Amino acid sequence: MLGLIQKTGRLVFKWPHKWLDEVFGNSLNPLRHLGSLTIFFLWLVLVSGIWITIFFHTSVDGAYESVEYLSNDQWYLGGVMRSLHRYASDAAIVTLVLHLLKEFVFNRYRSARWFSWMTGVPLLWLIIPLGITGYWLVWDQLALYVALISSEMLDALPIFTDSMARNFLSVESLSNRFFTLMAFTHIIGLPIFLVFGIWLHVFRITRPIINPPRTIMAGALLSMLLLSLVYPALSQGKADPAAVPESLALDWYYLLVYPLMKTWPAGAVWLLLIAISLLLCLAPWLPPGRKPAVARIDLENCNGCERCVEDCPFGALEMAPRSDGQKYAAEAIVLTNLCLSCGICVGSCPTATPFRTRSVLSPGIDLPDQSVAMIRELVTDAAQGLKGKQRLLIFGCDSSTKLYDVNDAATAVIKLTCMAQLPPSFIDYILSRELADGVVLAGCANGDCQYRLGTQWTQQRIDRERDPRLRKRVDIEKLALLWTEPWSDFLNPGAAVTAFRNTLVAAKEPSVAPKGHKVLLRPVGVALAWSLFAFAAGVFTLWPPFSQLETGNAIISLTFSHASQRVKQCRRLSQKELNELPPNMRKPSDCPRERYPIKVSFRADNVLMYDQTLLPSGFWKDGESTVYNRIELAAGSHELFIGMSDSGRTEGFDFSNRTSVTLAQGQHLVVEFDHQQKTFVFK
Amino acid sequence: MALLEWKQAFSVGNASVDHEHKQMIEQINQLYELLGQPTTAVTIEAVLGDIHAYISAHFALEERLMRTAGYAEYENHKDDHEDLLDQIHELMFSFSENPDIGRKLLENKLSDWFGRHFASFDARLHRELG
Repeated sequence: MLGLIQKTGRLVFKWPHKWLDEVFGNSLNPLRHLGSLTIFFLWLVLVSGIWITIFFHTSVDGAYESVEYLSNDQWYLGGVMRSLHRYASDAAIVTLVLHLLKEFVFNRYRSARWFSWMTGVPLLWLIIPLGITGYWLVWDQLALYVALISSEMLDALPIFTDSMARNFLSVESLSNRFFTLMAFTHIIGLPIFLVFGIWLHVFRITRPIINPPRTIMAGALLSMLLLSLVYPALSQGKADPAAVPESLALDWYYLLVYPLMKTWPAGAVWLLLIAISLLLCLAPWLPPGRKPAVARIDLENCNGCERCVEDCPFGALEMAPRSDGQKYAAEAIVLTNLCLSCGICVGSCPTATPFRTRSVLSPGIDLPDQSVAMIRELVTDAAQGLKGKQRLLIFGCDSSTKLYDVNDAATAVIKLTCMAQLPPSFIDYILSRELADGVVLAGCANGDCQYRLGTQWTQQRIDRERDPRLRKRVDIEKLALLWTEPWSDFLNPGAAVTAFRNTLVAAKEPSVAPKGHKVLLRPVGVALAWSLFAFAAGVFTLWPPFSQLETGNAIISLTFSHASQRVKQCRRLSQKELNELPPNMRKPSDCPRERYPIKVSFRADNVLMYDQTLLPSGFWKDGESTVYNRIELAAGSHELFIGMSDSGRTEGFDFSNRTSVTLAQGQHLVVEFDHQQKTFVFK
Repeated sequence: MALLEWKQAFSVGNASVDHEHKQMIEQINQLYELLGQPTTAVTIEAVLGDIHAYISAHFALEERLMRTAGYAEYENHKDDHEDLLDQIHELMFSFSENPDIGRKLLENKLSDWFGRHFASFDARLHRELG
């Protein structure tokens, strides 16, 4: 089931990946730099945000106007910065989600990688509220909607006794202080946690990639600038609690769940969000995978050279003081819960050479499930079966090209976990002993290595830039490196092998540089790709528009808190009763604190629209009962009635009021309870 | 007579490295002795294979120490190491093609390399590590 989902997901990634590989070249394909690209967009958000902060007024009246000033009077800089701020944060969501999906479909989140995966989930929980508070600060119609729905969601949590959403129903109830708090949350509070979260997300892996290649940064910046100039981000009219706009342009990247609040109870929305988060957090163990045997150190063959420690992409190796009394200072140790059993350490070990035929071939570090000795045996066995002129020995890593079905007398395939598991001396061994005429290493394309650095290290070892280096005498013409995409298993393996052999005959590495007309088309493709990306990042910030109300409707908010009468009256205690109490507890009267629940009914044109019994808040049921409800009503004339009983009576009301109103389309009428006058008011 | 002999002057001032140098010299001397007796190319290649693995590991450690110490002549020293590893591989090849080349080759190539390397590179390293 999981395998099927992942395979389908890989198919979805296949075509855009292939196209972008053609356009950008393998290693500069933005789809291979999604994580670092997200961080780059966050940089853009930070820089543009600093500019906006300088001009932003943290007050009810100033907020909207100061943002308008940026967009109108200072459109050439402030406006661009504002647009950049918005679009880069949307782009960050796009790349973040793609990053998450890609790691999922390529199965790079399980086993020892759970930590990086799980620490990514809180980042989502930080970035989304960052966006939400950002929209809130603008204080336009969208901000009001965001404020209302966010408060309604927060009100559903058992944190606040009073309703927070009520504050956003009229301008008088809002203070400048609130904007200061919001700005603090958006500009300092959440970002601090975000920076810490990103650090946590990457600190456990070695050599994390924080910045994408420069050309990608340039493309990302230009595409965002282009979008900002062509379609500047604008406000949607100053927030006015008295009116509900017919439709709002919603940023679906950040506010995807908000429209749900129209039909779902807040509890259900929370449940959905919590369920998704839990599912994400637990994904590495759904279902629990079997952990292959981790790398094992053989101290007899380890002199503490640290090469394995340096090459491990997951920080699963450490140096420790020597424990076996040999004349060395240190030894490598495996941190078993971080080890993914990729074997990259084995490929780096200087003692892992198949030429060791006199002593037992046991390198300083080895994989129990597929040891170097086993690989040598596989090579010898495979070589014996090879016939023909161009005998090929293909080493294929488990995650890229799957060529196991190749049935060809002149070709043998040896399956490895990772290409960098193979010590380069094997190539020398095979060719010098004429076990085959050519060796092919088929691993993951650079930037998409299942074990992060396997492709890079292998390439560098072959190029004699990294230890252990391929020896000079090896005829490089007889070696082909095929860095293939992870979806190559969808290709016809037979054709792929023929291509390998032809490459070998031509004695060339496969060229990734496009030829002829493709060279000319490349810049066009790059421009097109980034424009498409900008379009995707921008379009869902506005479209499709969202209607809070059906056309022709108005909205009525019932919103008030009321402390009902107490269930029992105070009673003076008799002297006898007092005498029975301990002397320090002799309170003259007994006042039970419990209050009655209130009953509220609302009718429009004698049709019952709202009828609820609301419990008093507080542990002792002694607090106020709070009513918060929004009712949609067709525009036009209506007879409204509101009634409330607070004395536990079953018939009739203690307070009531009726009025005739003519509601305009989109009008927002608030029904409140005036505690001084003890009467309902319609505003 | 042994082909190579470890002298106190060869010391680079690090116990592990000196220990491995002695081991290496012993291994080469054993090979030299072996070549004096009737033997097969396969045996020689196997012995060379082991020597190669041992020397590789030794260089890896020595290079690590050099890098940790920020040794200025690291690059040159490293190149000379790589040169020896290449030579041993070539030797393996020569022996398997013509076992009779034997001692001569070892005398010319390896003892040459060791003499030069110890005298120049490792002596300089001693000043750094010792």
